[in-house]
Amino acid sequence: MAIRFVRTPIVSSQRALTARIIGFVLALAIGAIVLGIAGFDPLHLGTQIIVKSLGSRFGLEDLGLLYTPLLLTGLAVTVMAKMGLWNIGADGQFYLGAFVTTAIGLFIKGPEPFMLILCFFAGAAGGALWILVPTLARAYAKVDEIITTLLLNFVALLLVYYVATGPWRDRVSGTTASTGRVPYKMPEFFGSLHWGFVIALVAPILFGLALRYTRWGYEVRLSGSNPDAAHYAGIPVRRRMISIMLLSGAIAGVAGMLEVAGTVHRLQGGISNNYGYLGVMVAVLARGSPIGVIAGAFLMALILNAGIILQTQGLTTSAVLALTGLMMLFTAVADQFAHYRIVRTQAATS
Amino acid sequence: MDIITGILTTAVLAGGVLALAALGEVLAERVGVFNLGVEGLMALGGVSAIIAVTIVPNPFFGFAAALVVGLVFGALFALATVTFRANQVLCGLALTMLGSGLAVTVGKPYSGMPAKAQFDKVIVPYLSDLPILGRALFSQNILVYLIYLIIPAIMAFVLFRTRHGMNVRAVGENPAAADSAGIPVTLIRFVYVTIGAALGAGAGAYLTLAFVPSWSDGVVAGRGWIAVALVIFAGYRPFGAVFGALLFGVITALGFVGQARNWPIAPPFLSMLPYLGTIAAMILPVFVWKRLRLGFVAPAGLGIPYFRDER
Repeated sequence: MAIRFVRTPIVSSQRALTARIIGFVLALAIGAIVLGIAGFDPLHLGTQIIVKSLGSRFGLEDLGLLYTPLLLTGLAVTVMAKMGLWNIGADGQFYLGAFVTTAIGLFIKGPEPFMLILCFFAGAAGGALWILVPTLARAYAKVDEIITTLLLNFVALLLVYYVATGPWRDRVSGTTASTGRVPYKMPEFFGSLHWGFVIALVAPILFGLALRYTRWGYEVRLSGSNPDAAHYAGIPVRRRMISIMLLSGAIAGVAGMLEVAGTVHRLQGGISNNYGYLGVMVAVLARGSPIGVIAGAFLMALILNAGIILQTQGLTTSAVLALTGLMMLFTAVADQFAHYRIVRTQAATS
Repeated sequence: MDIITGILTTAVLAGGVLALAALGEVLAERVGVFNLGVEGLMALGGVSAIIAVTIVPNPFFGFAAALVVGLVFGALFALATVTFRANQVLCGLALTMLGSGLAVTVGKPYSGMPAKAQFDKVIVPYLSDLPILGRALFSQNILVYLIYLIIPAIMAFVLFRTRHGMNVRAVGENPAAADSAGIPVTLIRFVYVTIGAALGAGAGAYLTLAFVPSWSDGVVAGRGWIAVALVIFAGYRPFGAVFGALLFGVITALGFVGQARNWPIAPPFLSMLPYLGTIAAMILPVFVWKRLRLGFVAPAGLGIPYFRDER
């Protein structure tokens, strides 16, 4: 008897899920062991996280507020992944959406419902604008979009930092790294949870429907899975690519708009809270499925909420970023392992 | 004259960070592995160097500690992408998140403190008295000479002038053909990705022991990503990477000089220059040097995991 690993090209979703759960549990276990060595009690922390985030009304509200941006940034990354592209710049587009919303809030007066609608579209436009150069560079010059979108994150962060500490600095309360309060507020429906949550929850469903039932969606799917075939079939692949990238930026921009108008109400340096990068993890978990984004973002929201609880125990939010990286690594490896089956073969007798 | 010397001196110093990281990335990409984890490796290298010099106040010890940490995390990355053949983009991003997150968490007690030991200037007699260039080129810390001359010279020689180097490049261009010729594809990929990662972490140590010199949250500030972009700009060549890094050093230095001399531009906008410059450097060559780009193409096997059974 000999044992051989045989690679299968196609993996059933059940196998893939099993592999991922194993990978996820392993990553969490490593995280727990490291925390244990660092002198924390992982079991106690674990129960704290579950109880505090799911066991109380405040916990649920906080969870919803974290869930909202993750749904949208996760969707933004998923949208572009549909055409085999990576949007690592959702953080920057998020900042731009927040930036534009704050600009409108601070400088334009008007009736609140109308202004919120204006902010929504302006935020989307800001996000789309931020990905415009990477989009055109990718579509017309095949310049790698991973690096261009990512580098613009730093530019956006510097821009927000500049206005928040400089010209738009809050002169009333005297905080140094934040703008004044934006007067327009998303209406709330469950404690501090605002209607932006519903928008964020509906968005992946709408995108999934558009992908499945519209001509545009069909052309995007075909261009993504086989660009050459799509081109020969007469689909304008480049135009679909441009539309999908701008849509991705717009969605991330809306996430930033909702964060300002719904949750934070002012613009500050760390407002993106790594949502753009965590959105990549959400998209990875979702495996390209818009509905999967809803589940993936929920998981990430739980983990992020765990991070906030860890913070009260003396850990930084960077620990969550590290844990997310570890989980992503294990997920990527698990996806590959799912391709292998162990086959027992009769050893050749010589 | 003084301002030019100042810009060049800072440019050489600042470019060193990018050059070392880009050299590491050249190694990884030449064997066909796209390592997007440089940013995380630099953070890890930077923080481990600071912690190491706090224990033993010797910059070489700190640099060595960063290299070792880079080897460990590089081996982890190579295990995932080369041995297990997992998606390189995902693993790279994961390494960036893991590295950056871990570095900030571990480095919290050391944040903002000046490095307990740093690389001092080595002044080359006579040459450093040359006008304009003298101080910029011959009055730098010892790593500068290592990064700008010795490492790229060794790399260029091994990659382009030896049989082993030809094998290495073959692994990146066409792993299936290399495999048929009896070249150990997986081993070569593993080794070079790991060495490349060590250089990335070394760049972090350079950052915190020679350039800044201290550790703080966000000190890496996207330099790892600029290094990845530089490799494309450099046409995957060691001296190209060094030259590109120097160019970006100049851009960074312009920002510093602008701040120091109170140019009428807000400092955050000057800080944007390296990122915007990188994006411009990625886009412009496509329009300007169409013919030149023929010699700058990426290794054909870049980013694609190699499966022998799918040959």
